[in-house]
Amino acid sequence: MSALASSREIQEKVLATQGRPGVVHTLLIIVAAGAAAFGAWCWSLQIRYGLQVSGLNRPVGWAIYITNFVFWVGVAHSGTLISAVLFLLRAKFRTAVYRVAEVMTVFGVMTAGLFPIIHLGRPWFAYWLFPYPNERHLWVNFRSPLMWDVFAVSTYFIVSAIFLTVGIVPDAAALRDATDGWRRRFYGLFAFGWRGTDEEWRHYARAYLYFAAFATPLVFSVHSVVSWDFAVSVLPGWHSTIFPPYFVAGAIFSGVALVVTLLVPLRRILHLESLITPWHLDMTSRVVLLTSLVVTYSYILEYVLAFHGPPSVERSTLVYRATGPYAPLFWTMVACNCIFPLLLFLRQVRARPAALLAICVLVNVGMWLERFVIIVTSLSHDRIPFDWTGIYRPTFVEVGITLGSLGWFFLWFLIFVRLLPVVSISEMKEASAHGGEDAA
Amino acid sequence: MRPEAGVLGVFSNLARGAQAIRALRAAGHSDVRMASPAPFPELVEALERPRSRLDSATLSGALLGVLAGFALCIGTAVAWPLVTGGKAIVSIPPFVIIAFEVSVLIGASVNLVALAVTAGRGRRRRAVPFDPRFSADRIGVFVVGDGLGDAETILRESGAEEVRRVA
Repeated sequence: MSALASSREIQEKVLATQGRPGVVHTLLIIVAAGAAAFGAWCWSLQIRYGLQVSGLNRPVGWAIYITNFVFWVGVAHSGTLISAVLFLLRAKFRTAVYRVAEVMTVFGVMTAGLFPIIHLGRPWFAYWLFPYPNERHLWVNFRSPLMWDVFAVSTYFIVSAIFLTVGIVPDAAALRDATDGWRRRFYGLFAFGWRGTDEEWRHYARAYLYFAAFATPLVFSVHSVVSWDFAVSVLPGWHSTIFPPYFVAGAIFSGVALVVTLLVPLRRILHLESLITPWHLDMTSRVVLLTSLVVTYSYILEYVLAFHGPPSVERSTLVYRATGPYAPLFWTMVACNCIFPLLLFLRQVRARPAALLAICVLVNVGMWLERFVIIVTSLSHDRIPFDWTGIYRPTFVEVGITLGSLGWFFLWFLIFVRLLPVVSISEMKEASAHGGEDAA
Repeated sequence: MRPEAGVLGVFSNLARGAQAIRALRAAGHSDVRMASPAPFPELVEALERPRSRLDSATLSGALLGVLAGFALCIGTAVAWPLVTGGKAIVSIPPFVIIAFEVSVLIGASVNLVALAVTAGRGRRRRAVPFDPRFSADRIGVFVVGDGLGDAETILRESGAEEVRRVA
């Protein structure tokens, strides 16, 4: 019951993931770095020639860049949900999966943060977004939701990075004491002199609880703020009071789906099957199913509200969304987000990692399309019928930057998993000693 | 960090480690310390240490953040009183969002600093002799003092794998 026999086994399994990357891992890093480099080259074209190389034009002035921003911020939500909210709820299944989710959060926000800057067209003026003292006393407009975004996303990034770093401290100390050479020195940097004494644990446990308490409202606030970028405008299709809960549910949905998408191959490549078990995948996929149902309800509610009452421009936009030139994207979104996840009701599907992976990849495609459909269809069918002929088509520069963002995210992630533990060693040891479900 | 004199017991079993701590405290040893690879609540409870007092520092940081957030929004709005969209110059509802975010930011940052200070100080004041096994799969129970023949006996009787004197 309380023996620590499996503690060393857990530590050695995680330590084994920290070795020299294998062929598959190295190839993945090369592909990710190549995609990131291609994205950087595409961005350089945009910096050189201006936004004319993008498909942005009247009336669609926000498109794929803002879609990517909302997608990556949304993806980043699951990390805090799994690490903070499920910590406060004492959900046991989080132990094996939360580190991956936290890492995904930090790199997801890093990726999201690029897009408002890319979208600016003149990225060298990005610092105008921040309130800084200047000789004219000209300050940013705090009544603008774009400014709320700057504060919400910056705070989310800093708090998530702190939460991740603090969680790594005891694990880095364990790896420091189990290795030598440069790795010992490297882990020592992240261990901050940790010795595992009762005084350290006493304060650590309390501080961790407060980090979770701070991070939990952030889960709900950040994507609510992102939704207000749209909802506080008067554009049909955007101006909706259900957007904050709708966006938060969608963010958790896409984020947890990406966690599963990463976990399934990761546990195989790093041989972590005994730590990240089918039970963990099953429980995580239940969160995907639950949030899929919430998102489906939001989609239905959006149409019910538009069709409740006399004909309106809102109704016209939503009909356009489902029947206009973007209809194939809309119905693909519905299939990916509402239909395919229903398969997760079947225990046999949840028990098969390959099936889970396929469904979660489709969910991520669907959630990216959701943001694209909301942004582009609303702008291309605004209150002025004159504008309705404007069809947005992304250029190769925009597609290249989008692929580059995937490369950028996966490059950081793939490097991280070889340098720092992707499973919380100390929490796994605790769970194992108490004979919980997480026992190795 | 200069190690203090005492007796160190090494345990491979959580329950026995907690039992040893309780027995040592019952025998009148007031300075009993522990090192472990994970935050085992049994051990912390057996030591009967007071609850960490990070609360006040963290709460102060969060409240400071609320004030700083409102001060930044109101101060800058008043410094350049430009009416946009017919909205009030000092418009509290949108400023609540900034105040909330700054509150979380400063509260979490103060929590981090308080953790670094208190844990670092605690590590120095209640040091346990270093052993790499304590971050892997063993628990160290350390009794500070001279003599301590009875502490050695208690540690052995409680099931310590190894008991040694630290000079």
